[in-house]
Amino acid sequence: MDGVVAHGVRRSFGPVQAVRGIDLTARPGEVTALVGPNGAGKTTLLLVLATLLVPDAGTVSVAGHDPVAEPDEVRARMGWSPDVFGLYDNLTCREYLQFCGRAMKLVHYEARAAELLEQARLVEKADLPVHALSRGQKQRLGLMRALVHSPQVLLLDEPAAGLDPRSRVELRELLRRLAAEGAAVIVSSHLLADLEELADAVVFVDQGVTVGEHRLDALPAAATRTWRLRALELAPLLKALKGTDHDEPTAAGVDVRLPSDEAAADLLATLVGKGVRVVSCQPVGGQLEATYLELTQ
Amino acid sequence: MTLQGIITVAEQEFTIRIRAGRWRWLLGAWFAVLTLVTLLIRLAVQTVDQGRAQDKGVIVYGGLTLLVLGLALLVVPTLSAQSVNGDRERGTLATLQVTRLSAGDIAVGKFAAAWGTSLVFLAMTLPPVLYTMTQGGVPFGRVAVVTVVVALLLGSVIAISLCLSSLLHRTTTSGVLAYLVVFALTVGTTVTFGLALALSSERYTQTVPGYCPGASATDPCPYSSYQGTRTRADRVWWLLAPNPFVILADAAPKLPPETTAERLQREALALRGVHVTNLRDSDPLSGLGRAVRGAHKAPGASNGSPVWPWGLGFDVLVGVGALWVTARRLRTPSRDLPLGQRVA
Repeated sequence: MDGVVAHGVRRSFGPVQAVRGIDLTARPGEVTALVGPNGAGKTTLLLVLATLLVPDAGTVSVAGHDPVAEPDEVRARMGWSPDVFGLYDNLTCREYLQFCGRAMKLVHYEARAAELLEQARLVEKADLPVHALSRGQKQRLGLMRALVHSPQVLLLDEPAAGLDPRSRVELRELLRRLAAEGAAVIVSSHLLADLEELADAVVFVDQGVTVGEHRLDALPAAATRTWRLRALELAPLLKALKGTDHDEPTAAGVDVRLPSDEAAADLLATLVGKGVRVVSCQPVGGQLEATYLELTQ
Repeated sequence: MTLQGIITVAEQEFTIRIRAGRWRWLLGAWFAVLTLVTLLIRLAVQTVDQGRAQDKGVIVYGGLTLLVLGLALLVVPTLSAQSVNGDRERGTLATLQVTRLSAGDIAVGKFAAAWGTSLVFLAMTLPPVLYTMTQGGVPFGRVAVVTVVVALLLGSVIAISLCLSSLLHRTTTSGVLAYLVVFALTVGTTVTFGLALALSSERYTQTVPGYCPGASATDPCPYSSYQGTRTRADRVWWLLAPNPFVILADAAPKLPPETTAERLQREALALRGVHVTNLRDSDPLSGLGRAVRGAHKAPGASNGSPVWPWGLGFDVLVGVGALWVTARRLRTPSRDLPLGQRVA
């Protein structure tokens, strides 16, 4: 299978074991989220997949090729965008993308650059130097660099960091479209709400180890979740909640931790039965966030 | 490694370089200083000999050439000493490494851009050089050889600086070390040679036939022997060989001896009481060259042999080796990373 398959990847830097055994599968046509706390080994794993680091152990296949044995084959089919990257400040956006196209040995690099500028909504800025761009525009330009050779595998490390809400929505749509066109997309991110709407599968990593690999539509029901309750009058609500694990009330409502969906339904029934005029009862954070909190310590 | 890849990298580096600094000012200043110095030397020659000397261009060209080499050695380390680790610092190296450009493309392309820039500086010396050629005593062959030798020497220093930038994590460290390399090549070799020369001294005994007026075949005159100390420059000359100034002076083709016509003209003038000096004898390049060859000869030998093929060969080989190391250091995926170095 093409896409990305990694088994038992390990990599240490001197005494620091950054990755101690990560398994990951990313299918073509899908977006796979790579989720874990800072320092969990996400970036290191992506560097291994991006042909930059040799793993100490484990097998890796990217777009059907081994990044260590055949780096050039992988590079021809893989696009990578790191969490922190630089652009050549003295080039214009157009020149930058043309250079990237030439570095990828594209024949029609000029046409491709024009196409990507349009895709990134940077046509008006095309002939301005890169340092004149805003942060979000730079981020978009960097993403276009990774897309210059229309890769089958896309590795994005924190692509949404620092983007405004509109750009985040656009990024989501772009990645969905690329996946629909058949690319295997791996996104590492901390924006779980975004991922919930974007990803097809999720890989949880913690302390360099894969702790869970799930389809997003079949996430294991987290044992304990937080529910937020709002009622027309606060006092009866608080009275009725006595004995449950709840926080101090805020303007947003009262957060209650409940062990299961049944418990939530039961609590709501009880509240209504007691005459509390409840106006809303909803889980705080998505299923993804709940699973994340449970899997990572 | 492909030519196309090298050109892609070199063009890119060159564009960025030109747009980044105040190159026009720097080139203008470089040109102005060299022109000024050329004219000043020319004026000095005029003053010393009241304008009657032949081949006035010889001294001017020699002085100009040594100055160009000296100044260029001060400028070129900056062209490449922060090339690789600077890119890493700015976060543009890793994104280049994941393209289809090979490590060799990147290393040689960066080298070509820096070397090309230094050749632009060298080309700016052409107008003053052409002027000295009009002043006599500077044949075209000499200019050609000297220019090629300077270009090769600058290339070696640039390659070494580039290598340092790929080996060291911090741009300031590699910058300082590149200047130390230039210092070692110029001052270092000279001082080491001087010290080694002192250490090379040995006692020797020379035996010569004695002088006895009444000697005969049956009663031969005894040989007398003398003891003395001498330095053995022939054992330590190679310490001086990598010195760029030594290489340049020694490689510059020797000036042709005075022709009969020139001698006759000089003698004719002398009869009329006008004394004309031949300035070929005071050429700074030839003078340095003769001194160096003098060191490269066994005691008793009458002629020294050239030092520059060894020196230039050594420097160019080191440069090529440095490029090879740079390419190796740029190769990904990488197994070992220096402590504290991030990939991206």
